[in-house]
Amino acid sequence: MATPKSRHETGRAHSPPDPWDPVVRISHWTLAAAVIANGLLTKPGGTIHIWIGWVALGLLALRFFWGLFGPAEARFSSFLPDPRAAVAHLLQLARGKPSEYPSHNPAASIMVYALWACLVAVTATGLVMTGGKSPVTIAEEKAAVAAGDWSVLVDQDDSEHASEDNDAGEIMEEIHETAANLLLILALLHVAGVAVESRLLRRNLVRPMIYGRARNK
Amino acid sequence: MNFTSLRFRRGRHETTALATFMALQSIAAVFFVGDVFADLVGDLGSPHSLQEAFVVFVLVLGIFLAGWQLRLTLQRMRDQERALDTARGELSRIVENQFEEWGLTPAERDVGLLALKGLDLAEIAEMRGAAQGTVRAQLTRIYAKAGVSGRHQFAAWFVEDLLVGKLA
Repeated sequence: MATPKSRHETGRAHSPPDPWDPVVRISHWTLAAAVIANGLLTKPGGTIHIWIGWVALGLLALRFFWGLFGPAEARFSSFLPDPRAAVAHLLQLARGKPSEYPSHNPAASIMVYALWACLVAVTATGLVMTGGKSPVTIAEEKAAVAAGDWSVLVDQDDSEHASEDNDAGEIMEEIHETAANLLLILALLHVAGVAVESRLLRRNLVRPMIYGRARNK
Repeated sequence: MNFTSLRFRRGRHETTALATFMALQSIAAVFFVGDVFADLVGDLGSPHSLQEAFVVFVLVLGIFLAGWQLRLTLQRMRDQERALDTARGELSRIVENQFEEWGLTPAERDVGLLALKGLDLAEIAEMRGAAQGTVRAQLTRIYAKAGVSGRHQFAAWFVEDLLVGKLA
């Protein structure tokens, strides 16, 4: 146990929850799987890609809801971004003596918000790129086109706006790709951070995110 | 794997099931909202969109209720776990851990333990061969670190877990 910080309320454990609550765990792993699937495996713009995007959107919405109404360690208020504290924590890490925090540590908090920002950017631009159509609609349209009915391909706008729309579409695509790549890089950093922190605290930080308890009874 | 941990694992399964259900509800809500969004914006007030708005509202309300239920369950599990820890005669371990968490010095730990055992100031001072003023200062520091107002709250801090249940 590291020395506790007096600014924390008394009577709370000064280590991350073990285990994390189920909403945090489920949203964490579902989003991780969605990022890996859509970032590396599925065909961009394909039906499966869009399906996964929508599922991720649902889980992201749930996680934000939980960040407002969930238990203390899941709430935003217990890990507000604090760059100065984050730097201090990283310096502690470099010296090999990290403190413990009841929720995410300050550096991890910044990482969480960065990942969320990327996720929001990716899903939002993805929605714009698909015109907000649900994957079911898109699949139906594709099937219709395949069957020879091309009416869905006709742009409803008159051609004046078409070029502007195209520019906007390209910008959206750029943002979508950039955010997605950034997301993958951040995810790698995040994994590295967990590995380092686990080693230095001599405690498996991954297990509480999966199941069960580290405290051996 | 003893009986209690089995019980907790079952509780964990229940909460996981509830959370999974919430996740599915959220996905369903996103899909439904996405599907009817155009209708809702397009002609607000028509019977059709009113009906869909009602369905969205109920879906989202369901997520809120499930979340509320889950939070209560998690809280209850945590309370039970603490109470059980206490009841299993691990009080001293809990006290030790808590003292460590409050950052008490070794001397303060000894004094705190004696205070918990119900000894008064003079007795503690005598046992430790220290001046009463010293012990009083140590107790004050202990209460400050624990964030309690005084001796009664300090003792109650460890006992309250045994008394699960709301005050009538």
